[in-house]
Amino acid sequence: MIDGLVQLFIWQGLGELVSKFLLPNIPGPVLGLLFLLAYLIIKDEVSPSLGLVADSFRQHLGLLFVPASVGVILFLPDLKTHALAVTVALVSSVVLTIAATALVLKLFAKEARDE
Amino acid sequence: MNERLPIAEVWVYLSGSPLFALILTLATYQLGYTLYVRANRNPVVNPVAISVLLATFCIYAIDMPYDKYFEGAQFVHFLLGTATVALAVPIYRGCRSLRTKLVPMTFALLIGSAVSIGSAVGIASMLGAGENIVGSMYAKSVTAPIAMGIAERIQVSPTLTAVFTVITGMLGAILAPFIMNFLRIGPWWIRGTAIGVGAHGLGTTRAFSVNEEAGTYASMAMGLNGVMSAVLLPMVVNYLRT
Repeated sequence: MIDGLVQLFIWQGLGELVSKFLLPNIPGPVLGLLFLLAYLIIKDEVSPSLGLVADSFRQHLGLLFVPASVGVILFLPDLKTHALAVTVALVSSVVLTIAATALVLKLFAKEARDE
Repeated sequence: MNERLPIAEVWVYLSGSPLFALILTLATYQLGYTLYVRANRNPVVNPVAISVLLATFCIYAIDMPYDKYFEGAQFVHFLLGTATVALAVPIYRGCRSLRTKLVPMTFALLIGSAVSIGSAVGIASMLGAGENIVGSMYAKSVTAPIAMGIAERIQVSPTLTAVFTVITGMLGAILAPFIMNFLRIGPWWIRGTAIGVGAHGLGTTRAFSVNEEAGTYASMAMGLNGVMSAVLLPMVVNYLRT
């Protein structure tokens, strides 16, 4: 498990460096993700240790954004004033996004079948 | 009277050290997660929402400034970047099946995230929400660690972005099955992709609990959507602002 974690930190570090000096528009961790992906595709396997760490991160991804979300306490007055706008925007946006994505794929799948 | 003094001292010591915020963050999440498992992983009982509500209530009740809380909680926060890198693994696992579906997936991701941003930003600004709130709507369908990185780059609040992201994930995980059934969407890979684009991590978790194929597609869609948004969103926002 430790060597999976070390691998992730190294790719992240590399991503941060490239982001800092070469591609400031893209966040370091995203570059780290792309580097690791390229490495996995070349190597064509995921080591069990890396798989284990990645799966634990995926399972408890939510824990990691608790600290930032608690900051909502600073925005409570602002959110209270605009509660309706926020609710309507979030609910309709999530419904439209899921529906649009699914419909686009359905359309493609249908075309593929018709050909 | 003397007996109460040591307790007060312990309290002063603890609340001054980063350990308190760390315990508060982890323990509330643990509680939320236990409840979530007990409730048969019902998306309404969301561990993140429970943890955020309890932790926020606690620091509000003891009058602890957010900065002080964050000093301790930053150790958890730091791992967001690492978790982002780890998303390469599910994308890689889905890669094989992606080869045959590259064109539809690309279109679906582009249109899905355009609809997500357009509708959220459009409706929020139409209903007169402040600049802070509207700005934080941009990245809300992207998985939270990447969303917060994007928020920093387009100079909006990472905090509000994180909160909207969590709410979006919850709503998506709850509503997605109804939307799919209403639209008569059958294939698992389509259902998975749609929930991954619309409801990122929480949607993906839900998808995995229903069907393995849907879960794989959901995490791949979530990862690809994150990468794509990280590259394109700052450009789009800069363009719109000039």
